[in-house]
Amino acid sequence: MIELRNVTLKYGEKVILKNVSLSIRDNTIKAILGPSGVGKSTILKLMLGLIKPNSGHIIVDGTDITNLKETELYPIRRKMGMVFQGNALFDSMSISENLGFFLRENLKLPEEEVQQRVAEQIKFSGLEGYEDQLPENLSGGMRKRVAIGRALIFKPHMILFDEPTAGLDPVSSKRILHLISTLQQSSNLGAVIVTHIIDDVFSIADHAAVLYQGEIIFDDETEKLHRSEHPFIRSILSDKILEL
Amino acid sequence: MPLTVIRSLEKDLSLKAKEFLLTMQEFFLFSLRAFFTLPKLRRYWRDFLDQATICGTDSIPIVLVSAISIGSLLAIEVGNLLEDFGAKTMLGRSTSISVIRELGPLLMGLMLSARFGSRNGAELGAMQISEQIDALRAFGTDPVAKLVMPRLAAALIMFIPLTALSDFAGLQSAAYLAEHYHHLDPGIFWNAVYPRLGPKDFVVGFAKAPVFAIIITLVSSYNGFIAKGGTAGVGRATIKGIVVSSGLVLIANFYVSKIVLENM
Repeated sequence: MIELRNVTLKYGEKVILKNVSLSIRDNTIKAILGPSGVGKSTILKLMLGLIKPNSGHIIVDGTDITNLKETELYPIRRKMGMVFQGNALFDSMSISENLGFFLRENLKLPEEEVQQRVAEQIKFSGLEGYEDQLPENLSGGMRKRVAIGRALIFKPHMILFDEPTAGLDPVSSKRILHLISTLQQSSNLGAVIVTHIIDDVFSIADHAAVLYQGEIIFDDETEKLHRSEHPFIRSILSDKILEL
Repeated sequence: MPLTVIRSLEKDLSLKAKEFLLTMQEFFLFSLRAFFTLPKLRRYWRDFLDQATICGTDSIPIVLVSAISIGSLLAIEVGNLLEDFGAKTMLGRSTSISVIRELGPLLMGLMLSARFGSRNGAELGAMQISEQIDALRAFGTDPVAKLVMPRLAAALIMFIPLTALSDFAGLQSAAYLAEHYHHLDPGIFWNAVYPRLGPKDFVVGFAKAPVFAIIITLVSSYNGFIAKGGTAGVGRATIKGIVVSSGLVLIANFYVSKIVLENM
């Protein structure tokens, strides 16, 4: 379980997050919805301890990670997998090297097991035949699947998706959402999805939180979004995609 | 009105000073981290070998070109000058001291700052912009240990043979020009070189190699790590890395010579 308690974050004079509290339970999919540049991706980075808040606390599985040192954060981060918006694949490595990198690097598994897990992930992500290709030779949807595979391969409890369908064509988007949903059901994973596409939220999220002007204005079951009277939520429900 | 301008200037200066001090603090901690992770070299030996090839083997041509050109130039100019005093036989001595103590290591440092430093800045900057460095941290890998430490270790080791190569090429080219341009017998040239060169001259020259390795690697890598603002940001980080490390190489060159010569 991940919790943000009264988190405030500023960049210089600019307030990005104001007193934000959120919790994400294991085995559920929670979407964080909001317009571009409002600080949604920042929330994911806070959850991983990649950036520190100005005030408030971040709790991961009962451990307050707010003030942990970088080296103390590594074991916490290994409980979570992150899929970056631009995928952040290592461009000098092949697909199978990208998938196996953290198994070799952090878990130090025997090479046979690494190979086995990589092969399973390649099959699960539908990337057979592309093992030796560099990321630049793949389509956007395929790169996203590699990024998801890389996040999943060391079996985290929670997976964080930063705009998983941004920039993808409708077919690839559908495929990625189906992959996330399958994963959650088959592996009982918790997931946080940051997005500005409302349809994605209704497709797969059990719970949703809406971030607007640095504050959480809605945090409940996804279906209850329809009942919200907040003018911003009413407007986004009619527009479907947030481009504010 | 002027008072408002002065206050605004004062505020700007104080902000800039604060920013500078924070950057210095960050750079210092970044450098410490790079040194503290050196014991992990065995774990990253493949990265080390890659970097050793890049900053060592692949840099040989540019080091040779710069050493040969400076050796030749020195031989011609110093030879002409010595000829006026009828002291052409001292050409070996003066060129060897210049090449081994100062110009060999300095030119190599500047060339490597441009070649190895720019590569570091651009590569790490691109990794930073595309969130690959964040990805390393997010999955529990220390990016300094993985990306900077092997570069530092490779530079510390490879800059020493490159200095030797630079000295050798510089002296050989000077000897060649002494023979073919100034018609000086090679025996006279080398006789003026060897007995006159003492351990102090080699210490001055070779002590610069690790100092330059540290400056070039850490400055360029740090600038790559803090790159922001898309591809233009990578360009800015690369340029800043080269400019700052080249400037520091020039300053360090003076101080290393001064410290060693005063204490030996």
